[in-house]
Amino acid sequence: MFFLFFVILPTVYILSYAFTNWGSIEQHVLDDPAMLDLILNAISASFQIAGIVTVIDILAGLPMAWILVRKEFRGKRFLDTLIDMPLAVPTAALGFSSAIFFAVTPESLAAPSFALNIVTSPYLLIILLHVVFSYPYMVRSLSAILVQIDQTYETAGRTLGASALSAARTITLPLFRAGLVTGMILCFARSLSETGGTMIALATMANPGSFATGPTLIGDWKHDLTSNPDLAAPLAFVSILLIILSLVLLVVLKLVIMKIHLPMGRIWPRPERLFSRGWFPKTKDGMAVLFLVVFVILPSFFIFTYVASATPVAFDYGPFMDSLIYSFLIAAVVTVIDISLGVPLALYIAKNRKGKLPEVLDVLVNVPLIVPTAALGYSLGVFWTGQNIIPTFDALLIILAHVAFTYPLVVRNVAGAVEEVDPAYEETARTLGARPVQAFRRVLYPMIKSSILAGAIMAFTRSLGETGATQAVVASAITAPVYIVELIKSEAFYTAGLACIVLIIVSYVAMLALRYVTNGRRSR
Amino acid sequence: MPTVRLKGLSKSYGDIKAADGLDLEVKDGEYLCVLGPTGAGKTTLLRMISGLLAPDKGKIYFNGEDFTGKEIEERRAALLSQTYALFPQLTVEENITFGLDIRGADEKLKEQVLISMLDLVRLSGRSDAFPRELSGGMQQRTALARALASGADLLLLDEPLRALDARLRISLRTELRSLVKTLKMTAIHVTHDQDEALVMADRVAVIREGRILQIGTPKEVWDKPATPFVANFVGQSNFFTGEVLQSSPYTLLRTAEGTVLKGRSSEIPSGATAVLGVKIGNTEISKERPGYLKAKVERIIFEGRNLHVDLMMENGQRISSKVPSWRKGKIAAGDQVDVYWEESKGTVFPMPPGGLENELRVE
Repeated sequence: MFFLFFVILPTVYILSYAFTNWGSIEQHVLDDPAMLDLILNAISASFQIAGIVTVIDILAGLPMAWILVRKEFRGKRFLDTLIDMPLAVPTAALGFSSAIFFAVTPESLAAPSFALNIVTSPYLLIILLHVVFSYPYMVRSLSAILVQIDQTYETAGRTLGASALSAARTITLPLFRAGLVTGMILCFARSLSETGGTMIALATMANPGSFATGPTLIGDWKHDLTSNPDLAAPLAFVSILLIILSLVLLVVLKLVIMKIHLPMGRIWPRPERLFSRGWFPKTKDGMAVLFLVVFVILPSFFIFTYVASATPVAFDYGPFMDSLIYSFLIAAVVTVIDISLGVPLALYIAKNRKGKLPEVLDVLVNVPLIVPTAALGYSLGVFWTGQNIIPTFDALLIILAHVAFTYPLVVRNVAGAVEEVDPAYEETARTLGARPVQAFRRVLYPMIKSSILAGAIMAFTRSLGETGATQAVVASAITAPVYIVELIKSEAFYTAGLACIVLIIVSYVAMLALRYVTNGRRSR
Repeated sequence: MPTVRLKGLSKSYGDIKAADGLDLEVKDGEYLCVLGPTGAGKTTLLRMISGLLAPDKGKIYFNGEDFTGKEIEERRAALLSQTYALFPQLTVEENITFGLDIRGADEKLKEQVLISMLDLVRLSGRSDAFPRELSGGMQQRTALARALASGADLLLLDEPLRALDARLRISLRTELRSLVKTLKMTAIHVTHDQDEALVMADRVAVIREGRILQIGTPKEVWDKPATPFVANFVGQSNFFTGEVLQSSPYTLLRTAEGTVLKGRSSEIPSGATAVLGVKIGNTEISKERPGYLKAKVERIIFEGRNLHVDLMMENGQRISSKVPSWRKGKIAAGDQVDVYWEESKGTVFPMPPGGLENELRVE
């Protein structure tokens, strides 16, 4: 109930705006060719970028997932953590960091001379940036499925005479469609909804021109809404378009991947045998690692070298610290709400797989994941301020918005984990005399604890790094990422760099602390 | 230590009847084996008794009291599943005291029970180990100790020996039974292994398609099977079809070829079509002594203690026989032999309504 009322309903509420206020949409959008053009360009840019990013992620992520799951080598754990690192960096910081690394930047920024400094097209820059933060998601989803696929299938294929590549391609690959779908949806949705990093990257580079994506439009306009109330209609229009298109895409993507049969069955024994030996596999692995370093890790942490090499400027920590604390409080509250409401729903979904209702819920849970957060945030803001059901404190609105898109992360994680656990454990506990609550707490909970934790960390970092939804729901809110965006817009680059580093460090410390606390409890 | 009584228990999954009007009474302190092929409804039966599954129809009584709708944890019926379901995050000790912990037993009692249980299942040295560090047999014993220590009166065993290797499985049979007997618990043990059921049970219930076909001591079920299916599932049987000539004091059956066969007395009217079943171990072959039938030896399989002999009768039907291994060398493939049995070893059944082949099907 909570879920439907607080998450789904507000998410799609904005759609009703199209019906009730069609007149103003017509007046301010459809009859205004310049405006319409701007919107359509931004949205098509959003989708193109998301599509390209997803393809790059698959091509580069597959070999990496393979290495992580199937290969044993020294430093594997190190590589494993390396991949997760960009996840902990808020996208606002990522955006700044990658833009300095890749893009041609204005003189006033004084980027270090060893930065790449070559990208002049905002389009390309955004693609590169989005790859940085969506890549880990792809690798994670692919390797999660790959682990579950029994290698004996492939071994059987090999003993029957297939080369390593033939076996992998014809036997294992078709088995992990599900992982591919999850990865694609995650990457696509992430890229589509990213606002903060994109805004920052655009503001950082030398000549972004009038380039905008759907979410950045929402962010900018919501900001200007107070001075220019005519923007309400275009805002709603962009949000509606984004929501509808992303939902349609979700359905199409699912159908296409599950239904289409790729011509996987054909085998080219000779070339495939050739590619299975000698230099090719090594090159492939090498390329995968190189890609990770150059396109993911370096851009993520380039900010450190920038700050180290730039001329220091006095920095007033006061306002930034305030925004940081504000961000943390919100992320903490959001995480607590996610856990306390997400775990029961996850249990319900996982345990009643066969019923109709859980199935529907399972699909609905994904809706906020795919809808761009900026559109979601705007919809939520309109919904709550229009309803007068709850007092509309800024913080409350932001929390509600953040819960809407982080809640699914917890539900997914926990539901997945619960389904993995053999029901015999809980059943046995019951027959040994445990009441349902006791069976959960003593038996099931310890088994799924790490997944709950993973969900919590994901929800926490997502909330901490979110810009789009925050701006879209309350224009004046100052969370840490929003503050950094402001800094960069006012060309206070060095200060912004410092702020990013503080944000990165603090997120890391928070994550480590969270891990420590839960581990500590386990060993009593 | 309850008596358990099931009355008209039914449960369907769509079209499949997993329980079709089950009636069963388990006596106080009895070790009952429920024997049946895969998919017969054995696990469904255990789950309904334990409360994990609600029956569509029927009642469950413990000591005469209706327990049909009672909560799982109030039934004091501990389930020991095939996979043991030892809680991986708990040590052997914590697993064993789980039931006591849950019920809030005091430390002293816990200590006492733990020591006696560890002693009983011979795991005293391993109380701090985690389940994954134990061998299959140790895991099995830990799970058993946990069930015994939970304070349950009724033990529900779902193929408890299935995951063990053959030698261990056989040695644990007697061990498991004597533990249960020592603690004077009532046990319902589900298995598809006829040897296991015959060795361990006070009584065996043969179940198929959600119905109990026969319940009795292992000897009764072995010697006097109630249906051709039971005769064939509990020890393989040869079957001969024919017309009943007389049914008392022994039954005479005339086959289509005109051969007359002998079996125990029955209540089938003369002139009816009937089936005579003889366990392959009771089907004897000889080159000297004249028998009911003649057959040709097709092949001989050495099984260690016994020889399994496949025979082809003159009418083209195949039958089998088991003879002691010392006869190896005295019979060979291609030999012509006479087939006979003691008349008390032949059981005569009315022709099953669905035909003999359908009756013997093990799905």
